[in-house]
Amino acid sequence: MSFKYDKNNKYHRLGKNALIVVVSLTVFVLAWWVVSILAHSTVIPTPIKTFDALISFLQDGYLGISAGRYISASLTLFLKGFLLAFVLAVPLGLILGFSKSLNTFVTPIIEVLRPIAPMAWAPVFIYGISYDTGPMLVVFIGIFFPLLTNVIFGVKKIDPSLVDAALTLGASKFHLFTKVMAPSAIPYIMNGIKVGLGVGWMCIVAAEMYNPRGFGVGYCISDMCFNGLWPSTFAMLIIIAALGILTTSLAEYLQKYVSKRMGVE
Amino acid sequence: MFDGSNKEQTSDKGSVSYAEGEDFIHIENLSKIYKRDDSETVAIEDFSINIKKGELISIVGPSGCGKTTILRMIAGLLEPTSGTITVAGHPCDKPGPDRGMVFQDFALMPWRSVIKNVELGMEMAGVPKEERRKRAEEYISIVGLEKFKDARINELSGGMKQRVGIARALVNHPDVLLMDEPFGALDAQTRNLMQAGLIKILDKTDQTIIFITHSVDEAVYLSDRIVVLTKRPAKIKEIIEIPWPRPRDRASPDFTALRKHILDELEKENVLDD
Ligand SMILES: Nc1ncnc2c1ncn2[C@@H]1O[C@H](COP(=O)(O)OP(=O)(O)OP(=O)(O)O)[C@@H](O)[C@H]1O
Ligand SMILES: [Mg+2]
Repeated sequence: MSFKYDKNNKYHRLGKNALIVVVSLTVFVLAWWVVSILAHSTVIPTPIKTFDALISFLQDGYLGISAGRYISASLTLFLKGFLLAFVLAVPLGLILGFSKSLNTFVTPIIEVLRPIAPMAWAPVFIYGISYDTGPMLVVFIGIFFPLLTNVIFGVKKIDPSLVDAALTLGASKFHLFTKVMAPSAIPYIMNGIKVGLGVGWMCIVAAEMYNPRGFGVGYCISDMCFNGLWPSTFAMLIIIAALGILTTSLAEYLQKYVSKRMGVE
Repeated sequence: MFDGSNKEQTSDKGSVSYAEGEDFIHIENLSKIYKRDDSETVAIEDFSINIKKGELISIVGPSGCGKTTILRMIAGLLEPTSGTITVAGHPCDKPGPDRGMVFQDFALMPWRSVIKNVELGMEMAGVPKEERRKRAEEYISIVGLEKFKDARINELSGGMKQRVGIARALVNHPDVLLMDEPFGALDAQTRNLMQAGLIKILDKTDQTIIFITHSVDEAVYLSDRIVVLTKRPAKIKEIIEIPWPRPRDRASPDFTALRKHILDELEKENVLDD
């Protein structure tokens, strides 16, 4: 069996997958169409009307504010929440994975806080702290816990013979941390980021709805809804879905790339 | 494989220098009891041996008798319950690059290239970059991997991985090389090649090696002495000197007779197994 045969086979499979995706999306749009006609309600606009609303939102914005500003406001908030979660969860996870006693001390606290749905924090953060930092903190919570658990898991999953090997090569505790633990945890950190970004994106849209002064997509869609602008609302749903897909596929791509670089596939 | 013409010097650390054939490693009354909650496992009981500089000594014994335990205590990865171990006059109370270890599962860092794996010990010891690179390249060529020095670990075959493992340990000029079933994960053909390679290293250096193996054939092929252990708790059953030059002929009557003798001894241990 030649290499070329396999390659062709791969393209064949890719083509087939693409075809399935196109068919499935077509079926989805058609079903939506049928439902919108049967329901005969303004709440469910047809795909055509939605598409028009989407174009006009992208061109003219909403309430005199451009589409780009809504989107970038959300993405900025998202990025801030992510960065805060990253700089706190990664070192903390590494240390907790490394030190048994510290882990025993902190675990009960984490286990109490972790099951609280990130959205339950939204009113607390937004009304209790501020309209601006509140939604960011909700995103932070959404990303922080999945990331932290993955980092701790990563450190615990370290191959003990790698630790032995490093020790027999003269590793100090500090070296063990920097030369073995941290690098072997990286693929798990990436997995935590992937999961965290998914949760975080769900959080931000909902969290922004609480903010009457915000200009994110969450605020935008709730205002459209409130004013009965259903085609625009649906258009926003599409934008939110697209941004969500974009962030998770970026995270997925990064995770695959990093895992490959770190020699684990 | 395993080529190059490097004449290895004795370790430059330590105050005393040892000549080839001099007693170099002293293990006295070594015992290890694993305590776990309410159960105790006596792994090693009163194990003593002296090993000479430049000697390749193999340890064979029934499965689970305590071979790895002995090696890990020499490496300093495990604390003896009682007894003492010194290598080149130094006690083995903590691990260090003066006792290089080669692992059955290779234990290479998959995120590092071949050369970066070989450099790791020197990197942690603070050896300057230039020198690190030069020494690593030298040992990579000794194990015949020059073409793969920048390769990633998961691109290598099992035999190549273990050659990296050997270079990584040897590059630090260890007093002793501790090998725990180093070729156990390899297929028979690769295994033979690796044994031949190890013999070449022995010819060119006075590297002291403690070699654990399940293969009696391998032990007879490589060793200056073979330590046959009893079943757990491991005690020395017999020590066999093999004065024959290497490479050895596996088909010779002496070779097959010795192999049979050791296999018979081990068989007796296994029959008595509980
Ligand atoms: N960390 C540990 N805690 C408790 N018992 C242990 C531990 N490590 C090893 N043992 C026990 O000590 C005995 C000797 O183990 P060891 O790994 O040294 O044997 P071995 O001769 O290397 O075995 P093998 O031939 O399978 O490699 C075994 O019975 C094993 O179950
Ligand atoms: Mg063992």
